[in-house]
Amino acid sequence: MFFLVFFQVFFFGFIIQRIGATNPHKMAKAHLMKDPAIPQFMLLAIVFSAIGLFGLQATGIDKTVILPTSLVATSLAAIIFGMGWGLAGYCPGTCWAAMGEGRMDAVFAFFGGLLGTAIFAHFHEWIIPRLYMPTNIGRLTLADIAGNKYIGLIILLILFIGGVWTINKYWGHEKN
Amino acid sequence: MNQDNKSPYWQVLPAAIALAGIIVYIFATFGPPASSSGFVSTLKGFLNYFAPDYISNKEHYLMIPGPGSWLMSFVIGMAIGGFIGGRTFSKKVEDVPKVWVDRFGDSRPKRYAATFLGGFLILFSSRMAGGCTLGLFISGSTQLALSGIYFGAVIFAAAMLTSRLVYGQQK
Repeated sequence: MFFLVFFQVFFFGFIIQRIGATNPHKMAKAHLMKDPAIPQFMLLAIVFSAIGLFGLQATGIDKTVILPTSLVATSLAAIIFGMGWGLAGYCPGTCWAAMGEGRMDAVFAFFGGLLGTAIFAHFHEWIIPRLYMPTNIGRLTLADIAGNKYIGLIILLILFIGGVWTINKYWGHEKN
Repeated sequence: MNQDNKSPYWQVLPAAIALAGIIVYIFATFGPPASSSGFVSTLKGFLNYFAPDYISNKEHYLMIPGPGSWLMSFVIGMAIGGFIGGRTFSKKVEDVPKVWVDRFGDSRPKRYAATFLGGFLILFSSRMAGGCTLGLFISGSTQLALSGIYFGAVIFAAAMLTSRLVYGQQK
């Protein structure tokens, strides 16, 4: 099993390196609306994954895990996450790949991440009942809202392809 | 998508299709891919030696498997992929990115302090939301989850705002 995971994820790290997602310079340029590659790559990867997963589920294989939305905790976490992402130029996944690539600042992001994980885990029992659970609106999907999984998928595709188009229009096209 | 052919980086569309193939494959074999959980698994492995009593009654360590699980192989595979990617790439890595040098100079301690703080913030918040860019946004949106789409929209907006504050208005 280890080799199976190893094989598939080796390519995951390799591809995100090749698109430049492990390069904090390129990531900052994406956030500054100068370089469209990374956000377009993410949105398109989701578009194709969603279509692929849709087909996979049609064959009966279903290992999906839908996470709930908590109006307070998800929003607050997303804002804090965006601050850290904008500051460091790393997210948890790219941090591992960037360390492998040999970036020293990613090693510091990694240790900061371990500390952040430890602090959250320590206060988990205090934070989750206060911030997460009261405004937890459940494990909703676009299919639940649209009432039909086909329409749900179409809404996602329209949203995300619209996102790619918007980025193409409003982002600069710097070469990094 | 209008990338220069001379850029060492891959074109967006084929790279996105390749990544999607791997994501769907992971969905078929293990379930939704995630990377911030790997941090919990790593810590859990260490704490198992030093403070087994502490983690045995902490909810957050109970809900994520230890370093023997596929989540751990996932992040290690990610690092190895990055390693091989970096070794076979024409562009050298910098410890302090250029955009940072232009704004704050080339002081390594300053940059390392900033990424340490950034790393702290992204992991603290990922654990609060239940996932990160991959585990919540990419995996979630792939499954049409509202939590993933919403999280993705807010992290992008917050990161765009933060990068403007950090790097200033660029011409």
